[in-house]
Amino acid sequence: MGVQSDKITVHIDEDLAEIVPGYLFNRRKDVDQQLPQALASGDFQTLRILGHRMKGSGAGYGFEGVSEIGRAIEEAAKLENRDGITQGIADLANYLDHLDVIYD
Amino acid sequence: MATPDHVLVVDDDPDIRNLVGKLLEKNGFRASKVSDGKGLRMLLEKSQPDLIILDLMLPDEDGLVLCRNLRSRSNIPVIILSARGEDMDRIIGLEMGADDYLGKPFHPRELLARVKSVLRRARSMPGDIQELDANATYRFAGWVLDVPTRQLYSPKSKKIFLSGGEFALLRVFLNHPNRVLSRDQLLDFSHGREIEPFDRTIDMQVSRLRRRLGDDPKKPSLIKTVRSAGYVLAVRVERGGDTYGADDSGLGD
Repeated sequence: MGVQSDKITVHIDEDLAEIVPGYLFNRRKDVDQQLPQALASGDFQTLRILGHRMKGSGAGYGFEGVSEIGRAIEEAAKLENRDGITQGIADLANYLDHLDVIYD
Repeated sequence: MATPDHVLVVDDDPDIRNLVGKLLEKNGFRASKVSDGKGLRMLLEKSQPDLIILDLMLPDEDGLVLCRNLRSRSNIPVIILSARGEDMDRIIGLEMGADDYLGKPFHPRELLARVKSVLRRARSMPGDIQELDANATYRFAGWVLDVPTRQLYSPKSKKIFLSGGEFALLRVFLNHPNRVLSRDQLLDFSHGREIEPFDRTIDMQVSRLRRRLGDDPKKPSLIKTVRSAGYVLAVRVERGGDTYGADDSGLGD
């Protein structure tokens, strides 16, 4: 996905306004704790599950980018590809950093 | 005020449970959420949801096995919601008795539309035949089916053996005389999905049932085939003292 400096604007159904902050908080936790910890301990099963969940939930909340990154992490974890996972974590951090959510 | 439909969400991902639960509640449903097969079983012990949204990859059990077990015990509609989105997974899911299958990631409005559609479809079917006619005796074309004893008698009063599946299927036809029933409906009504959820199963059971009833398979007079639609029992049926299903379907074979 690569580093992005522009704002990533995402329009979300206002029905989801109550739960989206919690969802993004959980993704931030993935970036800061869950994914790096699992990678450090070589726990590819956990990495695969985390990627799989991101893939499954992201677009449902309106965040296609999270689904794409999740898919990449899941695939990298299946191959035990550390570089791929590291890239996925960086992509997710970048995505969250530049995200601008508009409820409408 | 009408009671809201109760939908049970079974998914190990709390973010999905949260999303689907919120979506349902915002749209007038009551949602319960559990994370695994054990939670599903515990909830079913105390309540009967109107529909179940089931993930396949659960921590304690395979969702497909859960789906098959559910189908063997109840008619609660099931929508599989899974990131296992391969064609074969979809096919197996539907063959295991799911009413619909939606891959993750999904659009919330599509899920909602499918929930409504599956509930609508389930409601278009009559209630549980098992309860409707538990004490009935049916008479049709000289034949008698006594439901409590499960005995079928020919016009010459000969006792005819019926397998469980044939008995269930005949009961369905007798409950809906002169109404075209699709293969799906026949599967649902006869609880046939617990046996083998394939269209051909119904075709084979109908064929066997025709033989039991002495119906000419090439030109059946009792259970007629309606091309591209299903089957119809084209005969007047009496249940107890009632007569219903006058043979006015005008359907040929």
